[in-house]
Amino acid sequence: MTKKIKIFDVILVILFIVMCFIIIIPIWKILVDSVDLKTAYGMRLFPQRFGWDGYRSVFTNPTLYRPLMISFLTTIAGTFCGLTLSTLGGYVLIQKDMPGKNLMSGFLLFTMIFNGGMIPTFLVLRAIGLTNTLAVVILLPAISVYNLVLMRNFFEGIPESLFEAAEIDGASPMKIFFTIVLPLSKAALASIGLFYAVSYWNDYTNYRLYIQKSSLYNFQMKLRNIMQGSDLPQSLGSATENTVKSACIIIALLPFMILYPFLQKYFVKGVNIGAVKE
Amino acid sequence: MKRKESTGTIVVNKKPLRKRLYNYRWLYLMFLPVFIFEIVFHYAPMFGVGYAFTDYKIVNDATFVGFKNFIRMFKMANFWQAFWNTLQISILKLLLTTLAAVLVSLLLNELRSLRFKKLTQTIIYLPHFLSWVVVASIFAMLLAPTQEGLLNSLLTSLGIVERGSEIYFLGRQDLWRPVFYLINIWKETGWQTIIFLATLSSIDPGLYEAASIDGANRFQRVWNITVPALMNTIVIVIILNLAKVMNLFEPVYVLQNDAVIKQSEVIQTYIFNQTFNSGGIPNYGYTTAVGLFNSLISCFLVLVCNALSKKVRGRGIV
Repeated sequence: MTKKIKIFDVILVILFIVMCFIIIIPIWKILVDSVDLKTAYGMRLFPQRFGWDGYRSVFTNPTLYRPLMISFLTTIAGTFCGLTLSTLGGYVLIQKDMPGKNLMSGFLLFTMIFNGGMIPTFLVLRAIGLTNTLAVVILLPAISVYNLVLMRNFFEGIPESLFEAAEIDGASPMKIFFTIVLPLSKAALASIGLFYAVSYWNDYTNYRLYIQKSSLYNFQMKLRNIMQGSDLPQSLGSATENTVKSACIIIALLPFMILYPFLQKYFVKGVNIGAVKE
Repeated sequence: MKRKESTGTIVVNKKPLRKRLYNYRWLYLMFLPVFIFEIVFHYAPMFGVGYAFTDYKIVNDATFVGFKNFIRMFKMANFWQAFWNTLQISILKLLLTTLAAVLVSLLLNELRSLRFKKLTQTIIYLPHFLSWVVVASIFAMLLAPTQEGLLNSLLTSLGIVERGSEIYFLGRQDLWRPVFYLINIWKETGWQTIIFLATLSSIDPGLYEAASIDGANRFQRVWNITVPALMNTIVIVIILNLAKVMNLFEPVYVLQNDAVIKQSEVIQTYIFNQTFNSGGIPNYGYTTAVGLFNSLISCFLVLVCNALSKKVRGRGIV
């Protein structure tokens, strides 16, 4: 019987190694192609003629580093706005005897049930002059009722006794927010901040809908156009079209791939304070 | 959801309304930015659905036409195609990724080495953080219908595909959907296991010990203890995601192309393509009508799922 279990364990480990390879190889292959100057990549999983020309083509091209800057800028600004809104909203939602609280929470939750849809949103934003500005791609995703509810769930986990003690000491709800709630919520701020940051960095739909000016494209938009062949940057040195494409893909995914191993616990925590928290 | 009233402390509720309003005065100010954002980005567009009852192209002012747009919509074969595609693709995608995630979680749970388990988790969560544009770009390269593409060149060297007749995986009508599901499984399975693993770690280890003493083997323990414990979570995950099936847009949009439009067009991409990619003058009235129909179905689904969720786990999703 023990032998049977051991065989099963070995099969299991092999299975997971295969699974990890299936996950890694597509990304690895693009990484290899981005530094391989010999063309006809085919099945090669290691570069044959190593060189940085692909990346050089990207970083020396102003039409490419500008979108990169816009991606960084909107990610930082958007994450800040998003965290501000979700903490403010989340805190209001946990108040037990604030007059009008139910009205406010209904006001927020209704938008999870019904939305105006793609075209009315576009028409309204265009009418108020927000289309073709970076403001729309920073501000629109910042108000996420889902993240706000996540924040509320986290605040609800703060022990009631802390609030009561502060109230007895005469602290105002505002003071409780700054002296108790915020300092205790660092983990939640990190998790939800990361969710925001990832969605800002990865944002494509909002740009596609609201930004027509190519000078305001972020890197995802640019990458998409390059992959569609409409906007291919000039290749330098021995880099081919595919080398440059691969380099662009790697640049688009790099920031979070680097940060991810260090931040993984916050991401996981964020999921667990989320919707399925019992 | 509501904080429990604790006994024995000051009863704040008894305070007069004016005093409570005063006490919370700054919180109203805190809520103000949230309020403004909601009005501008969520509520104002809701009033925009009125365009659904108008004839509104870029060149003219909106004129009221009643239900004309809806009548036109229900007569459109393309619309119905997109509608059924949405349901089929969304639901099958949901079931497949959930099933894959459950299987992977069960197997991960059986791993003996904790360090190997951690490493595996780190790797399989990874694709979730890639944007859909990046994922589409990666697979456009790997599945390219030339010898440059990894998969075609692999199939050629195995003798399955002949040089010169490489398979265009993302452009073939019979292959687009299977490839779409596989890419979704590749991207999201790992991330979905987090929820199931959290449930698994809350199972009382004593149950397994008791079962072992009773002579249950490893498979029997998984089948009789682990699987039933997961059932509730599986139902919740499916309910939560069912509420979102009509929202499918970006994954399809970045992976579709003209050759497979029939197989891939979903409502949201239909609205987008009709408005911005059709080449003609965008007919905002018509596409708003399609959007309103979609929002109403979506709304209905959320309410159904909310009711189901209340029944299954005692609290709703909104």
